[in-house]
Amino acid sequence: MHISSLTVTNFRNITTQRFEFLRGINILFGDNGSGKTNLLEAIFVLLLGRSHRGASDNYMVRSECDVYRIEGEIITDNKSIEVAVAYQRSERKKITIDKVTSRIQELYEIFCVVSAGPEDSAILSGAPSTRRGFVDIYLSQISRKYLDDLSNYQKVLSQKNAALKNEMDPGPFNALLVTYGCRIMSNRITFLDEVASLTREFYREISGGGNLNLTYQPSIGGLEEDRSPEGLQQRFERRLSDSRHREQVMHTSLVGPHRDDIHFEIEGLPARQHASQGEWRTGAIALKLAVYQILKEKRESEPILLLDEIFAELDEKRIHGLIDAFGGFGQLFLTTAVEPPSRMKENSRRFQIAGGAVEGIA
Amino acid sequence: MFKSAASVEKLANRLARLPGIGRKTANRLAFHILKLSQEEAYELSDIIREVKDKVGFCSICFNISESDPCQICASPSRQKSIICVVEETSDAAAIDKVEGFNGLFHILGGRLSPLDGIGPDDLKTRELLDRINSDVTEIIIATNPNVEGEATAIYLSRLLKPLGVKVTRIARGLPVGSDLEYADSVTLGRAIDGRQEF
Repeated sequence: MHISSLTVTNFRNITTQRFEFLRGINILFGDNGSGKTNLLEAIFVLLLGRSHRGASDNYMVRSECDVYRIEGEIITDNKSIEVAVAYQRSERKKITIDKVTSRIQELYEIFCVVSAGPEDSAILSGAPSTRRGFVDIYLSQISRKYLDDLSNYQKVLSQKNAALKNEMDPGPFNALLVTYGCRIMSNRITFLDEVASLTREFYREISGGGNLNLTYQPSIGGLEEDRSPEGLQQRFERRLSDSRHREQVMHTSLVGPHRDDIHFEIEGLPARQHASQGEWRTGAIALKLAVYQILKEKRESEPILLLDEIFAELDEKRIHGLIDAFGGFGQLFLTTAVEPPSRMKENSRRFQIAGGAVEGIA
Repeated sequence: MFKSAASVEKLANRLARLPGIGRKTANRLAFHILKLSQEEAYELSDIIREVKDKVGFCSICFNISESDPCQICASPSRQKSIICVVEETSDAAAIDKVEGFNGLFHILGGRLSPLDGIGPDDLKTRELLDRINSDVTEIIIATNPNVEGEATAIYLSRLLKPLGVKVTRIARGLPVGSDLEYADSVTLGRAIDGRQEF
């Protein structure tokens, strides 16, 4: 899968710019603030309909403009697909695939993308919602059903919260919460098991013998006792009935996958409190490598890879380790303000970016 | 644009409040009504009046009806042992076209949606429970297969089951006459989940 051309209009600091990309490595070279990361963001929006750094659409429209538009031609399975994502302020985002209006879910079924960049440290150091966001965006690319369960779960959750606020009986919504919630948790268990073991390996490799552990911590707890679907259901139901009173007093839902978390440990200590900036960054890169590996295997094609400023904090040796680890990637986009390692220059096209525009191509 | 005729503007404004009618359509309709002969225009207003005067709700099933009880509830040929519960009148009309179904209806008048402030008390649930007697053997819950419809179905089944009546839910799956390859994966998944043995 690769993007052959891209046209970006009124997006962040990009006025309008067309790109022809290489199937191999595309290096976006430029000073800080030139718009390199914005371009990666545009690619992510084109492929999955949302920002890789969680920005809302209103922030992505160029200032003093009303509409952004991203169009691209993507080659997958020897077929060319035309995709366009357009957003007008205070309206719904419009997605078309081969000129047919489509739902965001359809993008997840066709495309596959992994991004890694400075914002990823927050997966280890930030709030639980960042970690859930990470799981959701990648797991949704593996399982369309997961994405669907997630969206239904959200709907049920807002109805249940409204019921609690209006002091109505949330019972029927609890039953649906359990149905969708257990499927979500089962998926997260399997996914995070795989992510954990691969991340451990990659972390050891990149850090030169370091030790990272991650464990899924569903808000219903008790994963170490019973992780079967029946076990999850029973525990979820019990936790819901245990917290019924508290939920009624607090007028909000207190248990369920929307409160899940992932626990990271580096060298045996909780990463959030004890790890260094560098360890967070390395941990995050190991995590993304693991995800890349899993997606590649499950989707049976190489995901498009977006690497944002990964040379900034890694030394030459680690960078080479990284290139080897990613080995055999399909299409790669990477931003850098410093000269990339020579190994990256083969089979590559280099875009000199300044002020949201291409100044030169080499 | 209506400066010269305030009453046409008033009409257009009223029409624009109707569901599915935007400003442009409302203007077009208003001008069309203006062009009608006096006779036709009066007929239209009389029909609206008639609908409001004559059509009410059946006191048993809450379907719209010009008589009380409605034709379906009063019909001797209907199977009185089966009640099909739906959200709206239009749903009952759709199911009534089904040849295999000859039972009675119960129109809830909506679905559970706390976000819109609709709780059990806003639906005709009490009235449904009052209809359950020894003659009723099965309640088919035919609310929509979305989050709110499912929650309503769960709520009703919890109320009904203790009464000893058989409660069923309509199946979900593929539309008849469709091609598998064009079905969306969610619907197909449901169809696989709900497969039946030959």
